[in-house]
Amino acid sequence: MADHRTHRVVLRPIGVEVRVRPGEPLKDALFEQGVEFPCGGQGRCRGCRIQVLEGSAGVNAAQQERLSSDELAAGWRLACQCVADSDLVIELRQWDSAILSDESSFAFTPRPGLGVAVDVGTTTIVAQLVKLASGRVLAVRTALNSQARQGADVMSRLQFALSAAGRRELEGLIRRQIGALIAQLLFAANAQADQVRDVVLVGNTVMHHLFCGINVEPLSHYPFISGGDGLQVLSAGQLSWKLPADTRVRFLPGLGGFVGSDILAGLLATGVGESKDAVGLIDLGTNGEIVIGNRDRILCASTAAGPAFEGARISMGMRACTGAISEVTIENGKPRCHVLGNTRPAGICGSGLVDAVAAGLDLGVIAPSGRFANGGSAWQLCAGVALTQKDVRELQLAKAAIASGLVMLRERWGGADPARLYLAGAFGNYVNRTSARRIGLIDYQPDQVEPAGNTALLGAKLALFSRDGENGSYTRLRSRVEHVSLSSDPHFQDVFVEQLGFTENIGAFVNARHEESIYEHPGRT
Amino acid sequence: MSTLDELKEVIINGNAPAAKRLTEAALNQGTRPGDFFAGAIIPAMDEVGRRMRECEFFIPEVLIAARAARASTEILKPLLAGDSSVRPAGTVVCGTIKGDLHDIGKNIVAMMLEGAGFRIVDLGVDVGPEKLVDAVRREGADFVALSALLTTTMVNMKGAIEALIAAGLRQQVKVMVGGAPVTESWAQSIGADGYGKDAPAAVELARRFIAEAARGMSAARRGAA
Repeated sequence: MADHRTHRVVLRPIGVEVRVRPGEPLKDALFEQGVEFPCGGQGRCRGCRIQVLEGSAGVNAAQQERLSSDELAAGWRLACQCVADSDLVIELRQWDSAILSDESSFAFTPRPGLGVAVDVGTTTIVAQLVKLASGRVLAVRTALNSQARQGADVMSRLQFALSAAGRRELEGLIRRQIGALIAQLLFAANAQADQVRDVVLVGNTVMHHLFCGINVEPLSHYPFISGGDGLQVLSAGQLSWKLPADTRVRFLPGLGGFVGSDILAGLLATGVGESKDAVGLIDLGTNGEIVIGNRDRILCASTAAGPAFEGARISMGMRACTGAISEVTIENGKPRCHVLGNTRPAGICGSGLVDAVAAGLDLGVIAPSGRFANGGSAWQLCAGVALTQKDVRELQLAKAAIASGLVMLRERWGGADPARLYLAGAFGNYVNRTSARRIGLIDYQPDQVEPAGNTALLGAKLALFSRDGENGSYTRLRSRVEHVSLSSDPHFQDVFVEQLGFTENIGAFVNARHEESIYEHPGRT
Repeated sequence: MSTLDELKEVIINGNAPAAKRLTEAALNQGTRPGDFFAGAIIPAMDEVGRRMRECEFFIPEVLIAARAARASTEILKPLLAGDSSVRPAGTVVCGTIKGDLHDIGKNIVAMMLEGAGFRIVDLGVDVGPEKLVDAVRREGADFVALSALLTTTMVNMKGAIEALIAAGLRQQVKVMVGGAPVTESWAQSIGADGYGKDAPAAVELARRFIAEAARGMSAARRGAA
């Protein structure tokens, strides 16, 4: 393979070697290795930073705009922008992601054959192969969404899909990837393609449109409403999947705006629509989705929290994987950090960030305004990882978006306040509920809040067993959900600003969080 | 500490009732309405901008400081109506671009510009090209300040500038753009006059344009002489 016209690029710490042609950006070669480009590789963020340890790589205007002269001098580059001028040794942080794969039990109607349930996340795709006679999960596969090379969040992907060519590219990527995942599931379970009877997919409205080939333009601007988010029924043949051509593939309908079938599936999974008392469901993602409902009425809304909970835009932020501080407690008046994988801390993930700020408030390091009490610009959590003033501000923005969404939806609901809240998704599962309350993210007692796991996948699986086919329980449920647009509410700004601050120090939280930490997460040290 | 110095302090700290009281007290002491701006309000909002940039102040602190500044200017405005020696630094027409509803950033920019002595015509959110062109013409604007918080709505800034060109108003105004996805190079590519990465930068930009225009005018005068 040695070719004198290419440069050799060694990636540390994984030790992989890739080749790039002179003048060719590193982006594509690194993407194949799982490096993510949060802004879609447009040089707008700093998410794909790499450090050049040996060799030289060019600097362009975009890198000068995003990196300081000290950083550039130390060899830091944006992988999406830089070009190899020689053979290179670069360091990137490649971690194994810890992703939720649901294995909960549920009610079902037995039938022969196999089904596939897929949660099409903006970041992560999880697919399960299920035996329709027993409901048993035969195999699970997770993968990073291959569309991520054209943007990490839904808005940058939307923008890419505004051109017909872009839309076709993203459609092709996701269809091929899910087809390949299904083939892997069958291989892993030693099953045959002709046993598959049914495939159900769920995801947010943008994922729905991009998979089904529907124009995303209406979602790109106010009022963010697409008429095309209904149930889509396709066949494996249409998708060129290696399954019998007439195998039914359903992408479940969305609930309005950006709120997609992942939330509809969450409602199915948590039984919000059958509850006598009002209950809430919150999915804490880049787009926070909030539902309040009971058997009479269901309201839903979404609020733009930004990517802080995923560690993005945080100076030492990272995903919840090896090396991430996932938990911060207080010991002898000092922060104590718990690192995933018991290794040297490399950064902090969303749950660690929420804990750290809660601990900072309890210790008086962070004032109720969010300002560091000593006027400093950073707080050292442990050797190698610090929290900056700007990090606290980013978290304040994210938590205020969720909190004001919840406040406003509760106001709109009007009746008895939901007594119970389900938290969906990975972050919701790992976030410490006492800390979440301390920072004002979710103003509920910890025992009223229940982590519900990957409710999207569980709901997709339930839909596989829906007794009356395409007019299944999800269609009836969907017709009952009322979508509320928060951003067009004139009070939004006032409520949002009100939610930006923190409450005064309350000593009781220190011990409560510590106890929850010990009893709730015995495996995570 | 003089009353104006005290006023500056209470504005920075966001104490609107005190700002109102001190403004009235200074007027009773004989301070001329026009002297409040250079003596208290503008330096106070400059300090707020500095603290915001240092992450010392966050959105709530900036908003309450702006509210305190407004408590003072509300009293001064009617007194200044007949005073031709006090003119606004310039008229700014601002808004979020068509398709975009996120306006907290735009509101802060507007408040900081107002605190810096500019007259603000705030068109609100989701501002299309026609509404913008009408306002620029009607208000005799010197500046247009547009914000976008989404990459998908940012593209509409180009259309807004094209509409100003088509209406023959482009030479009259300096166009400033900002918002999370906006960059310097994007601003250049759509033919805007400037990019502000935050609210204090927008104030600096507007002041720089005024200084440049003044230099240009004096150069023109020298040329004519």
